[in-house]
Amino acid sequence: MPGKTRHSPLKNADRDYLALGLEGSANKFGAGIMKHSKDGSTTVLSNIRHTYITPPGEGFQPRDTALHHREWALKVIDECLVKSGVSMHEIDCICFTKGPGMGAPLQSVALIARTLSLLFNRPLVGVNHCVGHIEMGREITGAQNPVVLYVSGGNTQVIAYSRQCYRIFGETLDIAVGNCLDRFARIIDLSNDPSPGYNIEQEAKKGKRLVSLPYATKGMDISLSGILSAVEAHTLDKKFRSKGASDNSLEEDIITPQDLCFSLQETVFAMLVEITERAMAHIGSKEVLMVGGVGSNERLQQMMAIMAQERQGQVFAMDERFCIDNGIMIAQAGLLSYRMGYETPLAKTTCTQRFRTDEVHVAWRA
Amino acid sequence: MALSLSQSLIRASLPISQGAEAKVYKAQLSETSLPILLKYRFQKHYRHPSLDNNLTRTRIAGEARALLKCLRSGVNVPGIRMVDAAEGVLGIEWIEGQSLRKLLGGTEEEGDDLDVEATDTELENPLKDYGVSVEELMKLVGIEIAKMHKIDVIHGDLTTSNMMLRRPKSVESTLAAELVLIDFGLSYQSTLTEDKAVDLYVLERAFSSTHPDSEPMFATVLVAYANVMDKDWPAIRNRLEDG
Repeated sequence: MPGKTRHSPLKNADRDYLALGLEGSANKFGAGIMKHSKDGSTTVLSNIRHTYITPPGEGFQPRDTALHHREWALKVIDECLVKSGVSMHEIDCICFTKGPGMGAPLQSVALIARTLSLLFNRPLVGVNHCVGHIEMGREITGAQNPVVLYVSGGNTQVIAYSRQCYRIFGETLDIAVGNCLDRFARIIDLSNDPSPGYNIEQEAKKGKRLVSLPYATKGMDISLSGILSAVEAHTLDKKFRSKGASDNSLEEDIITPQDLCFSLQETVFAMLVEITERAMAHIGSKEVLMVGGVGSNERLQQMMAIMAQERQGQVFAMDERFCIDNGIMIAQAGLLSYRMGYETPLAKTTCTQRFRTDEVHVAWRA
Repeated sequence: MALSLSQSLIRASLPISQGAEAKVYKAQLSETSLPILLKYRFQKHYRHPSLDNNLTRTRIAGEARALLKCLRSGVNVPGIRMVDAAEGVLGIEWIEGQSLRKLLGGTEEEGDDLDVEATDTELENPLKDYGVSVEELMKLVGIEIAKMHKIDVIHGDLTTSNMMLRRPKSVESTLAAELVLIDFGLSYQSTLTEDKAVDLYVLERAFSSTHPDSEPMFATVLVAYANVMDKDWPAIRNRLEDG
């Protein structure tokens, strides 16, 4: 809170600390090495990621994604170590994603973490994926007391910190916003490379007609599944031209895939900005931090910036290196709790598909 | 460009507060008339203009519709004085009185979830002016909510800030104190037990986060509510207890 300073429970580092972070809760496998120096500075030594890309029209299945992670893990970790110039023997702790996420990919990454822990005799730290996103976002942007909008393929939450807990003020009541966009990308056969959301964003730039879609905010919560059905219904409309408008066409009363991408983004993002603004008004914060893959969408960043500007506030956003799932954020959140004396004993290094943001005791903050 | 009637009315009004959605003003339709409260849903520039227009219009109309339904069935809500959905302006009766949050000595609204600090706990009992006890007040709360739920209006944001006690005309007034439900900005219509239970749950949460030791108070609300709801109560109670 502005005007109030409290002593952070996190003591200054008595020496340099190094953490390896491993992330694989969805279709990306990431490894990163984070350094907390004695002088109080924080350095990203390396941050490597490999994404499992499926053909157009297909999503990623848990089993195949787990296979992908197993295939790539050692190569990615190797590259991560080489790039940072750190050896496994210098690492203080190995941090891994405990959840939430897809079961099979989570398990394969937890297995890799356990193996490394036993091989090199290093402690393990289980990390909540969402808290990883938030801590990395705060580290990179320096936001002080932000309302956090966490938007990705699996999560949609409006979060703010209060008394050693990241409290959820609003969230989706059904599917995540990234899931909504990805599934629509599949419906209109957009490529999954580099990501379906990125391709929707590019198509949306060419759209101009705003078709009417449901607008479903409920207090600080939103609902998205009905919007997905509604936008899909438009692709079955007589006016829909799946190939887009022909060049010499004089037709005005048509709907193109670009128009639908545009309308979907405008509607869904307006809902996200609205609930974020409500949370800001509620807790009296002037900062917004956007994390998660959808947070790298430039239109969403732009809309959020307009909203913040009108409230004399500020938006903190990041580029895809830190927005999209990565290993370094797991290292960051893991190292913070490790420095508070937290370790996960081997018997408790299970993972869980359901692990809410507000279940984590944020010991390192006042 | 000439200002619309609503816009010039706003120009001549006294700003009261600004929320995330709307600005609130105290206005007068004519020099001799009673004051009214203007709720102006201003334009949101981040939204696509036609989407913004549509939303503003449906929300103003929806709020007015909910108020009207309540008024017709005798639920205590502010009377409607003007509606300009296209401009996003709703004019309602100005209630002379105090919000329950203040009357009960609740904590401040801003930042109530972060760093709660009791501010005015030493305030002497402000309820005396209104001639009601806390117990009676809680009964009134239960009765008004039940009357509203009976006609399938869900408030959507029941907090002690959204309830007012109307100031009696004189101290010796024999008229019973009147509790008024305000701010129907998030209201909707529903017959579902679930939605009514959620409405009550939201109020319970609001009580516990703003008023310490509110448990017996909320229990009184429920008893009065149950009385009015009669045979509809058991289903709602079950839903509420399920959490």
